[in-house]
Amino acid sequence: MFSSNGDRAILDREPRFDDITSSLKSVSKMPKAAFRETAQVIATARRFNEEVVRPRALELDRLKHEDPDYLPWDMVEEANRRGFYTMFIPKLFGGHGLNMPSLSCFMEEVASGCTGIANLIGVHYLGVATLCASWNLRVMNRVMRDTAEGERNGKPCLISLAITEPGAGTDVEELELVGKAKVTCHAERVPGGYRLNGNKIFISNGHLSTWHMTIAYTDLDDPANTTVMLAVRNGMEGFSFGRQEHKMGQKACPASELIFEDCFVPDDLVCFDALQAARHTRSMQAVTMQVIDYVLSGSRAGVGSFGTGVARGAYEEALRFASQAEVGGKLLINHEWAQCVLAEMYKNVALARLSYVETNYANGLYGLFKVLHYKPLFYLMKYLPQQFVDAVVQPFLNMDFVTWLFRKIYFDWQREDEYQRTSGWASLSKFSATDAGVRNCQLALELMGGAGVRTDQVAEKHLRDSKLLQIYEGTNQLNRLNLFKCLIGRSVPAAKVFED
Amino acid sequence: MKSLMNSELGMFEQTVSDFAAGELLDGRQENDRFPYGPLFEEVLRKARAVGFFSVTLPEELDGCEMGVTELCVLLDSLSRIDASLAAVIFTDTLAKEIVYRSRGFLQLKDLVARVGEYGGGLFAFPSHADPADSRGLLAEPVGEGLYSLSGTVDYVVLGGIAGSAVLPARTAAEGYSFFVVDLAGPGLGVSVPVASLGLHACPAVDITLEGARGALVGGEGLGAEYLERVTGTMNAAAAAMSLGVMKGSFEEAVSYARQREQGGREIINWSEVRRILARMAVKLKVCDMVVAEACRNAEESLPGWELGARAAALYSGEASVELTTDGIQVLGGNGYMEDYGQEKRFRDAGQIRSLMGIAPIRELELMRKVLEGEPLY
Ligand SMILES: Cc1cc2nc3c(=O)[nH]c(=O)nc-3n(C[C@H](O)[C@H](O)[C@H](O)COP(=O)(O)OP(=O)(O)OC[C@H]3O[C@@H](n4cnc5c(N)ncnc54)[C@H](O)[C@@H]3O)c2cc1C
Ligand SMILES: Cc1cc2nc3c(=O)[nH]c(=O)nc-3n(C[C@H](O)[C@H](O)[C@H](O)COP(=O)(O)OP(=O)(O)OC[C@H]3O[C@@H](n4cnc5c(N)ncnc54)[C@H](O)[C@@H]3O)c2cc1C
Repeated sequence: MFSSNGDRAILDREPRFDDITSSLKSVSKMPKAAFRETAQVIATARRFNEEVVRPRALELDRLKHEDPDYLPWDMVEEANRRGFYTMFIPKLFGGHGLNMPSLSCFMEEVASGCTGIANLIGVHYLGVATLCASWNLRVMNRVMRDTAEGERNGKPCLISLAITEPGAGTDVEELELVGKAKVTCHAERVPGGYRLNGNKIFISNGHLSTWHMTIAYTDLDDPANTTVMLAVRNGMEGFSFGRQEHKMGQKACPASELIFEDCFVPDDLVCFDALQAARHTRSMQAVTMQVIDYVLSGSRAGVGSFGTGVARGAYEEALRFASQAEVGGKLLINHEWAQCVLAEMYKNVALARLSYVETNYANGLYGLFKVLHYKPLFYLMKYLPQQFVDAVVQPFLNMDFVTWLFRKIYFDWQREDEYQRTSGWASLSKFSATDAGVRNCQLALELMGGAGVRTDQVAEKHLRDSKLLQIYEGTNQLNRLNLFKCLIGRSVPAAKVFED
Repeated sequence: MKSLMNSELGMFEQTVSDFAAGELLDGRQENDRFPYGPLFEEVLRKARAVGFFSVTLPEELDGCEMGVTELCVLLDSLSRIDASLAAVIFTDTLAKEIVYRSRGFLQLKDLVARVGEYGGGLFAFPSHADPADSRGLLAEPVGEGLYSLSGTVDYVVLGGIAGSAVLPARTAAEGYSFFVVDLAGPGLGVSVPVASLGLHACPAVDITLEGARGALVGGEGLGAEYLERVTGTMNAAAAAMSLGVMKGSFEEAVSYARQREQGGREIINWSEVRRILARMAVKLKVCDMVVAEACRNAEESLPGWELGARAAALYSGEASVELTTDGIQVLGGNGYMEDYGQEKRFRDAGQIRSLMGIAPIRELELMRKVLEGEPLY
């Protein structure tokens, strides 16, 4: 019945066996402790929801509505006190080192209460992921240990990611487009570092963050080949905050303008640039794409978990309403059609969740979490005492050799089909889960009628919050195109992307 | 709605559009900040002065004696710019029509003529819910058509600014009855404005009554019948509001897509963006035809025109929610910001959709009528 002859070739036909079996392949490789950790993480998030998120979600929404310049420092401090900003930072860098996929589960939980508050925590890990994707261990160690210090001294130290510019949004999310982008953030090479000029907009958590992973270009006419990633810290001369956006939803989380005027960034805060890329096999453009794909493959699964969370929040409000409200003389929940709507909403949540779970399996096998999920390393890091890590392991991180090694593993040894898989799946999760989020919010409003539009019934806030998810981390259109590029177009020789 | 236009209607539409451009456009974002900013009282005053309230009522009641078509043109043209004023007119008209069609001519005469504040002649009404499901308010007769009302009514639109409200309450009779209540009278507790998804400048409040005086509208237990008499008109009106919001969203999306460049060209030249716009165009065009047809049938009192109006409201409500979602998407991050009109239209569309109550229930109601033999086409 089975013959192994030629199986590989047939399994490589679309849909490729390896593309559709990340979970299956992961089963035997998963450290058991990761499962228990995930349960703890979800319990922690649920407690946070009960004690903080649900009681305060509407209040934060209102405060921002009243005063568009309001900043939710107290909420950030609460999250910091609870260790949420270091929970998923590897122990190597001073964090608690819980497994990365459980971050998505954490985000789903919090987003089911309030996507804005989820963003206050989640976007920090977008910054962390960006930093990690550069695999510059020295800068990683410095910046993330700052966050750990911020937890100890009660002064939150968050990390933001700044890519988007007024004239370039979609373009700077996609390497095939960035060459044509109208970028203005210029990093000029000067002795000892870079001089940075330009503006970033829409930067989540900008005003609340201490470090800003900033993408800039040494040649504005050739951004594709001249990308640099710089770590900018508050207080550096020439760096300031501009306005906060007035958003429709996710009001708990500011979207900020960052302004750079002759801001000098020293070499030891350069995460990644052409000089560093030159030490690797692939071209500058290809390595830049890998860095970006590592970030997006992690963060888009994260946005998938936000989408799942808001879909669930809307479902839970609709269920609560249907169980209490009488329509036409009987409880809404006892109308058969309403039961079918609730089942539809439950399904949307469940499928959205599967999409980010599967993406994270792919990330564990082929992407950002690869090394940390290697069982021996996982257990070593889990059970090594932190003092030992700090005293003995940490000094190695500052050695160039270690950065070189990690980059060898992550840049040179990663195969094309591997990043196509993680990137393609991340896009799939991003747009399907966020579409499910918006859809469920609309279904909730449909089911609730007049009650649904009242803010005190929460569903309308979920709707306002959810719409953003279809836009950031690449619009859902861009993510569909990325899925096409990664998992469909590659097997069709005539297919060209972005040449419409 | 072009197919309906004769010169008179065309002039009316122009007048309304000019009013919207002159009075609503610039203040749209600021007006939507209510209750954290001021209410657009000046706009309400002017709207009253030009006769936008009571458009459908007879001249003796200070009305313009206009039909469904004019009402729809009015609400459509206003909603293209800012649906909040349209919602004020919708609510006021709904309340007044109920009283008027219950032969409450005299009852209205005194009330609409109330002078003083801009809101004096305005009527509040708890739209957004089927009165049959609200059981919070009880009415005890105290003689001469007057009742003592006690209980609560949620989400009374304009309740914080209008002079009177039309509220559903239960009496000893089966079913519910409507009562006109003086909002300045004793025995009334009015909440702060209820925060809501959209239409912020058309605010609602929750009302508590303790022995408040109410004048019965028509006969006891006949509330549902009176509401039924106005549903055709009001469904057409709701559809027209959805339509206006769709027009505004579509226009802003097209104009933005023509200017915004990504990937080295105007985004309208990416075929995926253009297809999103195309689908918006299809929905908009279909709704425009549907509302026009509903108006035409109403004018001719064709049998079953009310059913058509119901279908129009259901269809346009859903289409406008979808269209305005895409309307934000075409603007990317900017679409999510208050600096542009798209996010408000997205919120307003959702709010308008719920004006007549829970959509699936209204669908079932429509189907019941079809099964009872009302002609569908
Ligand atoms: C609240 C908020 C928070 C954000 N947080 C951050 C952050 O922390 N850091 C950060 O760097 N960025 C952030 N962003 C920016 C976000 O990633 C961008 O908004 C997003 O990438 C879209 O870019 P844009 O807004 O410029 O839209 P545009 O790129 O101008 O897109 C407009 C429309 O055109 C479409 N389009 C554009 N190009 C194409 C194409 N080639 N093919 C088909 N369709 C196309 C888009 O899909 C969209 O529908 C945030 C945005 C918002 C709104
Ligand atoms: C090609 C084909 C192959 C099949 N093969 C097999 C087979 O191998 N073995 C076998 O045993 N059967 C088989 N079936 C039968 C199949 O399982 C039934 O058709 C199916 O269960 C639906 O039953 P029905 O056709 O009687 O439709 P009905 O039960 O009459 O349903 C009609 C409609 O009413 C709806 N409906 C009914 N009750 C409710 C309710 N309570 N609430 C809401 N909606 C309701 C249904 O959803 C449906 O839309 C086959 C059918 C087909 C068409």
